[in-house]
Amino acid sequence: MNKNRMYPTYFIFGALLLYVVLYVLPSVMGLGYSFTDWSEYSREISYVGLDNFKTVFSSNYNYLRILMNTLRFTVVTTIAKNVIGLLLAVLLTKKVRLLNFHRAVMYMPCVLSALIVGMIFKSIMDPKVGLLNTALRAVGLDGLAQKWIYDSKLAFPSVMAVDIWKGMGYIMTILIAGIMSISPVYYEAAAIDGGNAWQCFRHITLPLLVPTLTVTTVLNVIYGLKVFDTVYALTNGGPGFATEVLYTGVYKEFSKGRYAVGTTLSTIMTLVMLVVGYFMIKHMVKGGGDQA
Amino acid sequence: MLLSAAAIAEDVTITYMASQDWVQDAEMELGEKFTELTGIKVDYQIIPSDQYTNLLMAKLNSGECADIFGSQAGQFDIVTQLNVEKNAVDLSGEAWAATVDPLAFAETSVDGRLYGQPVQDVSAVWAVAYNKKVFERLNLSVPTNYEEFKAVCEAIKADGMIPIYEAVSDGWHHQLWFCEMGVAIEHAEPGTAEKLNNNEMGFADSATAKLLVEQIKEMVDLGYWGDNYMANAYADAARAIAEGECAMTVANQGFPTEINAAYPDFPAEDIGFFVMPLCDNQVLNMNPVGPTRFIYSGSPNAEAAKKYLAFIAEPENLQYLIENVPKFNTLPFTGVQDVYSEEISSFYAAYPEHGTVYQTSVKYVNPQWMEIGSELVAVILGDQTPEQMLQNIDRNRADQAAAAQDPAWN
Repeated sequence: MNKNRMYPTYFIFGALLLYVVLYVLPSVMGLGYSFTDWSEYSREISYVGLDNFKTVFSSNYNYLRILMNTLRFTVVTTIAKNVIGLLLAVLLTKKVRLLNFHRAVMYMPCVLSALIVGMIFKSIMDPKVGLLNTALRAVGLDGLAQKWIYDSKLAFPSVMAVDIWKGMGYIMTILIAGIMSISPVYYEAAAIDGGNAWQCFRHITLPLLVPTLTVTTVLNVIYGLKVFDTVYALTNGGPGFATEVLYTGVYKEFSKGRYAVGTTLSTIMTLVMLVVGYFMIKHMVKGGGDQA
Repeated sequence: MLLSAAAIAEDVTITYMASQDWVQDAEMELGEKFTELTGIKVDYQIIPSDQYTNLLMAKLNSGECADIFGSQAGQFDIVTQLNVEKNAVDLSGEAWAATVDPLAFAETSVDGRLYGQPVQDVSAVWAVAYNKKVFERLNLSVPTNYEEFKAVCEAIKADGMIPIYEAVSDGWHHQLWFCEMGVAIEHAEPGTAEKLNNNEMGFADSATAKLLVEQIKEMVDLGYWGDNYMANAYADAARAIAEGECAMTVANQGFPTEINAAYPDFPAEDIGFFVMPLCDNQVLNMNPVGPTRFIYSGSPNAEAAKKYLAFIAEPENLQYLIENVPKFNTLPFTGVQDVYSEEISSFYAAYPEHGTVYQTSVKYVNPQWMEIGSELVAVILGDQTPEQMLQNIDRNRADQAAAAQDPAWN
């Protein structure tokens, strides 16, 4: 390795300081507070051992469902955004008329505020006067008109669908960059050998896109675990508790002044993110090493 | 006028954060007049009602808030939930404090020190508002028990109308059927409120509370709330009644004037009231508490905020509010003239037995108002049983009591 290409180590200090102060320190403090009874209602903070963790994992509370909802949201939206984003990226790297227009249209939802998207879709999914059901009824598909975000079984899929719609353009853009960085020489060689479109995709595009897909997966997983605004704006965790996710739960615990329980929930998710992040980054580094 | 003589030009903007429907147009008009007189501008920050409590509490708990914040009051909740002794300014020394109605004063003060200023008419009760013309046409009379109420709903449904307009999407309205009916629990099981406050029993131990939740679910299952109750908003209730889509809704006594103001062809006299007859209730559900203005203790503009509250509490301004806010018939201050109609006076007279609603008389109920709404929705949708809902309410009360180091729970 050429040592002249390396920046001095102290270049990292500024970023590291910000990272430690704004992320590591609060996380460690949060871990500490999750073993206490810290709340708005008492000035004294006492050590309570694992009581808050027992509360979170107790079947008497709704927290386990909240954690499962968060993981479900993360898995489903990560897979869907990657698959749809990849499909769109493949389509929009072909010779298509008005290519940039199509790319811009697909990318546009992700620049909108999640709160605005939530309000728009709340209106679109209104069972009685919403655009979606009105359109379905207009074409004779009355049977498909549902209560969407107001139905406890459909609410979570509806929220995930909105989030996928909003986020797939961003993933598509990253994957387009990945596809365009693949040398056309491979495709030319495949064409000479008589490879069809599927074979080109399967044996050239997909393997060479793995590092990019790893990046999009990490981004989606981290986003999914931290999701708040879309759920808050669309359903605020309802109907009932059907769409409650971790950060709407943390927000509600803090608003009730139950800081310790809120911090415990947050700590659990930080640990999940650390584990997931560790393995993903390990995989990425390994992938990068293979390429080098 | 108290302030006109002392009109000064202050370059101050006070912020006033409140839930949707708490700041009326008439108050904003008074706010403009206040600005003209004092130079102090008022920035009204109106928050959607389903998000308000969480946002307010998150702000208070993180040590930042608007100069004036609105909140439901209540002698227990302003201590355990709002912690007004820490978060709000003591208003006892204000000239208008002596004019606050004694019942409202008791619910907005701690140890005799006043912390809040009532916003709304607290004489009104949440009751079933019904279209009298529909009842006359279908030859229906006011129900006096649950079975009669079901018969009324069936007749209305058979006529092609939705019996009850209910609005779940706002998050605050549908649980009125449960919390306001604490009077029915108290009537059937006297002393329950005291036992709940002393931690000698829970809601899950009350057979009447369980029956109440079961009857609410039954109403929904029988289609009395229609199909769209989950997406309905309370702001649309007047339209639903005026256009004949629904025959009844839970409203307070300002509703007739409100509906007439929005739909002049619909006379206010066409709306009648009866108490919610769940669990055969015939007790008038009184609540001396309503939305209340508090001045945030950390406000740098507390003096300007005090001037705003003083301005609003001037008798002519209170009277202006009573006469210009359709849902106000009076305000809880001395020296104001009420505008009760004959219909409303006769409604109050029809129910001689009065009780106080549980969100006021029972500790740790009002702070979980929105959560009770979610619990009830979970029951309605079949995600949990009425017993589970009541156990969850008890558990949440116990958690809050433990955090507040309430001796009855510790």
